[in-house]
Amino acid sequence: MSFGTATEQRDAPEASGNLPAGDQASLGILALFIMFVVSVPKHNLPAVIAYGSFPVFFITAAGIPLRPIAKRLLRLSPFVLFMAAGNLYFDRTPFSAAGSFTITGGMVSGSVIVAKTFVALGAMHAFSLCTPFHRFGSALRSFGVPEVFVTQLQLVYRYSFLLVPEARSLRKARDLRSFGGRGNDLFSTAQLIGSLLLRTTSRAERIYMAMCARGFRHSLSMEQKKPFTATDTAAITAALICFAAVRVLFAP
Amino acid sequence: MHMSDALLSPAIGGTFWVASGALIAWSAKKIAHEPDGVKTPLMGVLGAFVFAAQMINFTIPGTGSSGHLGGGLLLTVLLGPYRALLALASVLVVQSLFFADGGLLALGCNIFNLAFFPAFIAYPFLYRVIAGNSLSAGRIATASITAATAGLLMGAFSVVIQTTLSGISELPFGTFVLFMLPIHLAIGIVEGLVTMAVLLFVAKTEPALLSMQSQPSGKPAFIFQAFIITTLAVGGVLSWFASSQPDGLEWSMARVSGKEELQGNAATVHQALASIQQRLAFLPDYGFRTPAGQPETTPAADNPVNTGTTLSGIAGSLLVLLVAGSAGLLLRKKPQHEECSP
Repeated sequence: MSFGTATEQRDAPEASGNLPAGDQASLGILALFIMFVVSVPKHNLPAVIAYGSFPVFFITAAGIPLRPIAKRLLRLSPFVLFMAAGNLYFDRTPFSAAGSFTITGGMVSGSVIVAKTFVALGAMHAFSLCTPFHRFGSALRSFGVPEVFVTQLQLVYRYSFLLVPEARSLRKARDLRSFGGRGNDLFSTAQLIGSLLLRTTSRAERIYMAMCARGFRHSLSMEQKKPFTATDTAAITAALICFAAVRVLFAP
Repeated sequence: MHMSDALLSPAIGGTFWVASGALIAWSAKKIAHEPDGVKTPLMGVLGAFVFAAQMINFTIPGTGSSGHLGGGLLLTVLLGPYRALLALASVLVVQSLFFADGGLLALGCNIFNLAFFPAFIAYPFLYRVIAGNSLSAGRIATASITAATAGLLMGAFSVVIQTTLSGISELPFGTFVLFMLPIHLAIGIVEGLVTMAVLLFVAKTEPALLSMQSQPSGKPAFIFQAFIITTLAVGGVLSWFASSQPDGLEWSMARVSGKEELQGNAATVHQALASIQQRLAFLPDYGFRTPAGQPETTPAADNPVNTGTTLSGIAGSLLVLLVAGSAGLLLRKKPQHEECSP
């Protein structure tokens, strides 16, 4: 997990253009898109590439900076790579041939795993860069997610930007005082984490008092629930037709 | 250990979305009426603390590599299971949406694997049993290492099951298990050691922090619900992976008589009882009844999913629970009422 891009991600939504539909509908469209992508059969690479055109179009049209997305996508999870490599090794049945080179089923299914990861994560990134976190919270509320969970999500997101620099400072202070890696061992680091934990809990008490002083009553919700409009319905229907059309054309 | 969308089928991803959604709703309901308002920001800040603590890496002895805290068990010890599940789930949502760890469809699986097991299995059944309310270093150390390791191993095994059932990966089930479990055993021990060291530091400097979590109210009911979930999971899903080889008795009989099943006695009473058993058995041989003359269907080697086995597993587990529960109720000692003295 890297917070290097987090600041960019926090700032980017305000700079990016608005989504064509409301946040609630956009979240629904994202979920639909991912369902369509993962339902592509494991040997159908063209269909996954065709689905990849949606996030590419969206990122280009919305003017989302490409660099944070590309940087994040290139750091693929080792677990996904391991699973793709597993397919490569265990499935050696010939799938097709390019001249004298035989393409095995594992090569295709492994590529499909990697391609699906790129496409699904690209779409998620595009959504997260276009949707400020408080609007994401409102979308969750309108789907009936419990208020305590939405409040919790917003607090985690907000305070991670305060605590991460503090943790980085602690780590830097430790690294500056440790020579030849001394002090980086598990038990010394655990004391550092324990110290951060104590600071965190005392900060939580101060935050609570400050929140109460500002009228906090167990919820951070300040907005009225936005109704599901005709535009939202039209956007979801249009997206559904497009996704289904790609499915019919490339993976009947 | 984050699952990815690309490794899941929509059916498995959707099922775990429903399961994790239900867990979140249940936990939110449990804490909704607690009056202690300070715990709401505490949950949020501790969730953010997990992010922050992951920035501070440490050297793993003997490997030359570095690792970081996972935080599942630590949050559960500090907040209790319900609040910890919500805090961990929110961390996973933020990781998935904003840092590309996992995926949107895989979120249900990730919440189940990384939050449910430490919060609702490892903590109540291992940590609490071993450590109790004691602040002794030995108990906290044993409890932390055991619970963290068990929680991670259960999560890793769950990843294997979810991936195998999705049918995207070509890795054989046995090879996948043999790859995942030893690695996660090592990771679990390291996670347990870090959790132990942090808890001992807190116990020494601010012991009140370790006693502030609310325990599940109505513990017997909570344990019963956890047992039901585990029983259904084992009976309904793990039964697919049961060996089709003969058991010990069948193997011995086959060695002696050359047949796995001996022919029954031709006596009338025996035949009558066998006929009653045939009629009563609604899932003979742990599968659906096949019409006379048709061969029994067996699941394909590459796809272990078998509805008949699932139904048999669930029905059998529930029947055993019902019989055991009824026997317990019948044999339970009646409470002796103390007579009031005048």
